[in-house]
This record gives sequence, structure tokens and C-alpha cells, in this order.
Amino acid sequence: MLIFELGPLSLNCMKLFRKLIPPDQWKVPVIIILGIFIGLGVYAFYISKAHSYLSDDPSTCVNCHIMAPQYATWAHSAHREVTNCNTCHVPHDNVFNHYYFKAKDGLRHATIFTLRNEPQVIEIKEAGEKVVQQNCIRCHEQLIKDPELLTQRTHHTIETRTDRRCWECHRDVPHGRENSLSLTPNALVPVPQSPVPKWLKEMMD
Amino acid sequence: MATIQQIIRKRPWLGWLIFVATVVVVFFLGLLASSIMERRAEASFAYQPEVEHSQWEPRSEVWGENFPRQYERWKATRDTSFRTKYNGNAPIDMLERNPRLVILWANYGFSKEYDQAKGHAWAIRDMRHNLRTGAPVDGRSSPMPNTCWTCKSPDVPRVMSKIGAEEFYKGSWEERGHQIVNPIGCADCHEAESMNLQVPRPALVEAFERRGRDIEDATHQQMRRYVCAQCHSEYYFKGEGNYLVFPWDKGREVEDMEAYYDERDFADWTHGISKAPMIKAQHPDYEIFMQGIHAKRGLACADCHMPYTSEGGQKFTDHKIVSPLKYIDKTCLVCHKESEKQLMEDVYTRFDKVKASQYKLEKKLVQAHFEAQKAWELGATEEQMKPALMDIRHAQWRWGYIANSHGAPFHAPIECLRVYNTAMGIAQDARLKLSRILSSLGYNKEVPVPDISTKAKAQEVVGLDMDKLNRQKEKFMEEVVPRWEEKARQREKGYDVKELSD
Repeated sequence: MLIFELGPLSLNCMKLFRKLIPPDQWKVPVIIILGIFIGLGVYAFYISKAHSYLSDDPSTCVNCHIMAPQYATWAHSAHREVTNCNTCHVPHDNVFNHYYFKAKDGLRHATIFTLRNEPQVIEIKEAGEKVVQQNCIRCHEQLIKDPELLTQRTHHTIETRTDRRCWECHRDVPHGRENSLSLTPNALVPVPQSPVPKWLKEMMD
Repeated sequence: MATIQQIIRKRPWLGWLIFVATVVVVFFLGLLASSIMERRAEASFAYQPEVEHSQWEPRSEVWGENFPRQYERWKATRDTSFRTKYNGNAPIDMLERNPRLVILWANYGFSKEYDQAKGHAWAIRDMRHNLRTGAPVDGRSSPMPNTCWTCKSPDVPRVMSKIGAEEFYKGSWEERGHQIVNPIGCADCHEAESMNLQVPRPALVEAFERRGRDIEDATHQQMRRYVCAQCHSEYYFKGEGNYLVFPWDKGREVEDMEAYYDERDFADWTHGISKAPMIKAQHPDYEIFMQGIHAKRGLACADCHMPYTSEGGQKFTDHKIVSPLKYIDKTCLVCHKESEKQLMEDVYTRFDKVKASQYKLEKKLVQAHFEAQKAWELGATEEQMKPALMDIRHAQWRWGYIANSHGAPFHAPIECLRVYNTAMGIAQDARLKLSRILSSLGYNKEVPVPDISTKAKAQEVVGLDMDKLNRQKEKFMEEVVPRWEEKARQREKGYDVKELSD
């Protein structure tokens, strides 16, 4: 009776579900296989620290150690005290765009890293540049708009602030001029620690 | 429609297909998982070590084989060419520059010799040379205990790991001379396995514990302060065993530690002129830094004293620890966009003003010591003198809290002036009390201060035979130190260092 009260879509779903229920003699192996399948999925989720990507914590960005130079240079800059990675590298115009861009960029990074396709010198893409530029302006708006402050900064003319990026002049902000793995050897950054819990390690020793 | 059961009954290969497809998916999921694992492992093998050594390897040159850039800069702490207006890393005889110090420390080791500290690489050499450690030769022992070695060498955690801290501190300074031979280096701050920062000495860790804090919870940025704070802090030697303790139980401000010492009736020494029970403030660098604006803004010692530097394009932390004024472009200019000249001026303005206050306070303290001496001479009783002597104790403790921390006028200028301000009042109270005692004893004139215009004159006033001390030291350096060195060489031959690369 209940089935008839549901809409046609739910009805189809129920039908499909019933179709997928295996025959009795297959139930046990199917349960085990499903368990293996989901278990491995959870494991991959755990060791890739997938949950951490929802946060703003900069240490998330060095889950992939190839981002260590970016982390290390940021951690030695004046911006360290007031920004995290997302402050500059993710748009803040609205909440949907914020998470859309973060997901898009993050999944691209994850894919390239998994395929081992990353370049030695990581450079920002154009979409990322636009976001960073907007974020420079978001915090430092007065420096290009306040007429009083502009009298002190005569280089901030209409042309320079519309045709150029901030870091064409402010080149060291905040990562320094060059950035690559070979340029920051031995940087002490919070790379992920062993996923094996301490109690287990102690038990194995 | 037929159920899957019926379909498979009709076409059994379909069941097998589902099974094989699942196996394939699980297999690739496994591959993905191990790929993630591998890439994670890459992070911990980011560098190729040349040698493998233990955590207790005290020789920085061995660690340096794996980290040549950091090691080269550490070695550069031997440089003694940088002078700022007040400090720097050049050798400065502080007693010569300011002979009042000899009077303030009368009957205490510091009146014999007190120099501007040079770089870390000098720690052992300078300690042996310094007159404060005496000349343990010809059956004499040193006036100082083994605790004095604690902050001078990575040999200290090595020996402590074998016998424990409490045992380490016991006994006279010369007993461990052959064990402690390498100057402050890599193992003092780093873990051998991961290069993570660590604090191997117990005093800081224990002081945190007593305040209910666990150093294990510290962030990396906090550790960039704590590795320095394990030595650059106020401390005292507790009890017979000279156990090293940071007096932070009530807090780290000057009043907190003063109350801590008073409660325990602790005195470092009895003053040679006034007989006051004195506390010597050592070098509360960390405590004062934490009260300044740069600490409030989240900075750590390493941000300015070990700036991020670049060599042949490679960036790393400069291990030549020195005054940040040496590299203003890499220190102040990271945050402050002013000219180097302007920034230097800003630092010196703070120093000039705090130092002016310090010198005024010193003059009052010197006068108070001689006034107390006069009162004793005229027959003042202990009961009469006690309040005045306690004032001298407190005023000089507060003076030392700032004056003995060389970077204080920059680290926390407002706190410096506040502390000097309170000390000035207390010193003035002491002198008022003393002049009442003096007049009650029939003396109603100014007490003359002897000529202390040079170090030599001041040392004569406090009764030091410098020629004798220097002669004994020379003999000690010639006869004892080479024996220590030889013993250490023999021991270090036996250390396990494995060459890894070919």
C-alpha cells in the first residue's frame, strides 16, 4: 500500500533497489564484498585526510608536501599573522562561489598530485590570479581608493590599479620571488604525521 | 520485471561479471590508497641524509654533514665583528664600560669578569676562560657547581640522558669538564630523526608542568620561542644539589618572581659592602620579550634572530643567531616598510631612554650600598638594618631584571621603564631608611662614594686580587683544559656514526 502512495520516481527507485537485492545463497559473500569496498573507501578517506579540506587551516595545504615551499614562505612573511591560504586563494564574494572555487581548485590539485603531474615550479593559473587580486583589494582597499592615502602613494594611479596586478611591483608579498621544492630544502612544515595511531605502534614494538 | 535473482538464474555469467567488476574496483581503490601512502612517505624523505647518528651526538659538525647550509651559518656565530651601539657580538668588557657593576656585584662572581656574550660557538671556550668559573688546579675546586654547564653544550642532554638531571647538577664545576666540550649546537634544539624542534633540558618543561601546561601541546611557532627560552630565562639553583629551577610558579613579571624568592628566603649571595641578601637576576630575556608588542603580535625569537635568508636562490633559516640589527632587510623590513636608517634610529631611541634610567638607578644603588656599610661601621643592629637591606635587595633585583637582559629595552621598552620606575622608588626608600639610621647613630653627612671610575679601581674597592685570579686561570688553561680535550677526543672516537651515501 505504501508504495502506491509514493511518487513514480520513488517507485522506480524501490524497484531498482529490490532488483539489486541478491539471491539468498549470495547474501553473505555480497555483504563481505560490500564491506571490503566501503572499508577501503573509508581508509582512503582517512589517509588522505579528506575531512581536513573543509577547514581553513593552512596545514591542510601541506597534506601534499609539494606545497611545503608555499607554506614555509608564507609562515615567514608578515601576512602569516593575518591570513591563511584561503584568505587570498579562494574568493570571498559570496558563499556559493567560495566553496565552488575551493572544490574546483582542490579537486584539480588532488587529481594532478595523484597522477604525479605537478611541475617542479608551481605557478598560479589565471583564474587564481584574479581571485588573489580581488583579495588584495578586499583588505587593502583604502590604499588604492582613499584620496588622502593616495597622495602618499602616487604610483597607485587608475592605470596601474586596473591594468596591473599588485605583485608586479610588490614582488615579495608574501611568498618571495621564486618558489619551488628545490629552493626551500629542509623547510620544517607540518607535513602529515604517520596515520598509524600511537597505541598501535607501541603494541607492534 | 524479473528480480536480479531471476536474471542471474537465467544468465549465470552476469553474477560473475558483477563479482569480477567489484574485485577490479577494490583492487584499484587499494592501489589508490597505497599511492596516497607513498606520496605521504615522500614528505618524510624529502632530504637524503649523508650520515646517520643518534639523538645524543653532541658534535654539530656531524649533524652538519646532512645540513651543510645551516651548519655553515651556525659556524658563523664565531664571527665577532658586529657592534651595535650597546651590544652586538663583539667582545666588550662590560665592567670596564660600566665600573658601577663591580660595586653592585661585590663579593659575587660577576664582579671578577662580565663580558658581552659572543655567538653560540664560543660558549665552551668562553666559559673556561671566564674568571667566574675559577681555576680548579693545584687541588683547588671551582666556586661554581656543575649546574653552570647546563646551557653551554649539547653534551649536557647527552650526559643527562645517562645519569638524570638531578645527578648531573651535583658536584663542583670541574668534575664534568671532560664531558662537556662541544659548544651550543644542533642537538640543543633539534630531534635527530625529524629535525623537529625539541627542548631537551628539564627546567623549562618542569616550570610549565607546575603551571599545568604540557610542552608537548606547543605549536611549531611556540617551539620557536621555547627552544630559546630553555636557556634565555631567569633561573636559580635550588638547595644543596644546585637543582636548576625557573621561578615562574607565581608568574613571570618582576613582582611575581620577587615574591617567589622572598617566600623561600632565597639569596644568591650576601653583598660584600652592604651585607644585603641579594638576588641576582640572570637573563630573563624570554620573560621580558613576552611582555612586549612583538610577542603580542605572535612573533617568535627565531623570526628576528634567525631570519629567513636566501643563498644561491635557496631559502632557509639563518642559524647565525645575532642581533636583528645586523640584517634589517631580512628582519624588520619583512613587516615594517621604513628605511633601515629610520628603523635603526627607532631601536636606539628606546635603548637610549631605558639606559639613561638604568644609569640613574645604578648610582642610587651604589650610594645605598656604601651608606649601609657606613651604618654597620657605626654599630647599627641587624634589626635596625633589615628593612633597608630588604629594600636594597628588591631594588637591585628589579634593576637586574631589566639590565641583565641585553635586548630588554627593545623587547619591551614600556615594561623596562615601569620596572626601573618601581626600583627607583624602592632604592630611594632604602636611602631614606639608611639616613634615619645614620642620623640616629650621630652621622648626619653625605656618605662618600670611593673613586670607582675604572674597573681596576672598583675591583680594588671590593677587595679583589685580580693578578692572582688571572695567574691561576692561566695555569688552569695550560694544565687542565688540554687534559679535558684529550679525554673528550678519545670518547668521541667511539660514537656511532654511519655513512649512508656512496
